[in-house]
Amino acid sequence: MATIEERIKLVTARVLKLEPGEIRPEHNFAVDLGAESVQSIELVAMFEKEFGIEMQEDAALAVETVGGAVDFIRDVCKQQGVKTEG
Amino acid sequence: MDKARKPHLLVDAERPNLLEDRFPHTLPPLIRLSGSAVEIIDGKPVEFDIASVKNRDIVITDTTFRDGQQSRPPYTIDQMVHIYDLLAQLGGPNGVIRQTEFFLYTKNDRETLRRCRELGHKYPECTGWIRAVKGDFRLVKEAGLQETGMLTSCSDYHIFHKLKFPSRKACMDSYCDVVKAAFDAGVRPRCHLEDITRSDIEGFVLPFIDRLMELSAKAPDELSVKVRLCDTMGFGLSYPGAELPRSIPKLIYKLNRECGVPSDRLEWHGHNDFHKVHVNGGTAWLYGCNAVNTTLFGFGERTGNPPLEGAIIEYIALKGGLCGINTTVITKLADYMRSIGLPIPDNYPFAGKAFNTTSAGIHAGGLRQDERIYNIFDTTTLLGRPPRISITDKSGADGVAHWLNEFFGLKGDERINKIRVHELARWVIDQYDVEGRLTSISDQELEVKAKELFPDFWARCKSGRS
Repeated sequence: MATIEERIKLVTARVLKLEPGEIRPEHNFAVDLGAESVQSIELVAMFEKEFGIEMQEDAALAVETVGGAVDFIRDVCKQQGVKTEG
Repeated sequence: MDKARKPHLLVDAERPNLLEDRFPHTLPPLIRLSGSAVEIIDGKPVEFDIASVKNRDIVITDTTFRDGQQSRPPYTIDQMVHIYDLLAQLGGPNGVIRQTEFFLYTKNDRETLRRCRELGHKYPECTGWIRAVKGDFRLVKEAGLQETGMLTSCSDYHIFHKLKFPSRKACMDSYCDVVKAAFDAGVRPRCHLEDITRSDIEGFVLPFIDRLMELSAKAPDELSVKVRLCDTMGFGLSYPGAELPRSIPKLIYKLNRECGVPSDRLEWHGHNDFHKVHVNGGTAWLYGCNAVNTTLFGFGERTGNPPLEGAIIEYIALKGGLCGINTTVITKLADYMRSIGLPIPDNYPFAGKAFNTTSAGIHAGGLRQDERIYNIFDTTTLLGRPPRISITDKSGADGVAHWLNEFFGLKGDERINKIRVHELARWVIDQYDVEGRLTSISDQELEVKAKELFPDFWARCKSGRS
């Protein structure tokens, strides 16, 4: 099973039309990866779909980096009892 | 200038101070006045107790059927009767809309007046409007009216160039003869001082008003002359320090205090040629005119008159309460005017289709969090008009979410958050980025997409619709 980080990179690449290999944990979605306002919304929606979770809107949109998203989603998965890795 | 400087310390707070005593939201923002205003008149400071407006019997008068008809094709009788009925509902039982005036010259004019009076409303009281011609009082008497306006133009432009009087004295004598004829007919004359803001105040207006006061002193109280200050060309100024004849405070001072015309016999009639019409009306109220003459939606000769609905909101703001006014009738009147072919611009305050519509995403975001951030007052309750979002590429997901929640009528926790609207938000963006669209997206188009993308909400909230 792919890791949370790998899955996040795949979703991010699909939404922002990038190559997964270009994406690094320290990348800022807006500044480094060029996410526009509506794409930020799409990213959150696609992460929810990918992981089968529901995220609190304002908290999710406050996450700025890929690495931050990994930590945030890991916590949400844990809270909502969603199995992710291993 | 430097002596006025002082340091200003931050008053830190962890709870917002929303100034709700002035911005109650359940009412239009209140206009709180304190102290008096000072104007230098004839070299001396004169105090005006502007705060007294809260307790004075200020009123709105209407000329929708007279001046208001000078900018459009005539209304039908049925239309005027319906508008009159709505004016009565809007102004309420306390007569905030105190009077409205009618032409009396044609059979239709008189039939309209008869049918309006037949409705039995106490307010607005019906008054007439005639030329300053003695014989015209017969029309007023036959119509059973207590009061009529009459033209008494007072600038030399009118006296000499329009009316062709040989002298000011001949003009004044002629006007006074007509006023006496009004008294003889038992009709209260309301002298319309046309073009007062371009007239010789000391040389003609004040001597004429003195004569009118002398004549009134010999007549029964209920017939004493009323005076309408007609800013015929919109030259009036509210600014402190402005000079006569354009200064509204100074004009009112001269008539009210030097000539002794009481406030309840003074009325302001403005025109909007210099975009000053509404504030000038409010200024007249503050400085001592009890009546401000208006038309619905400002329709009137050339650029129009003080908008009646604007005066209604101003009245509430000055008085601090509704005083019997039914503000939702403003929306009924706007709908009716549109239905009979009178255009009201979309961005027209209180009544235009988009007066409380935003298309900016950041404003939509504010509305979504707390309506008070971007809505001027509770327009849903007071006007039956919830704040709306116009969807464009600037609306963002916030705007789309707000539109959807309003469309489905969702409140509180059941409101759809912006994550859930991402597909619709993407469709909106693509309309502009991909399709090259340049116009805003209509409600009809959004409804189609809402049905497609939110079938569950549609079934729950829009069942019964096609």
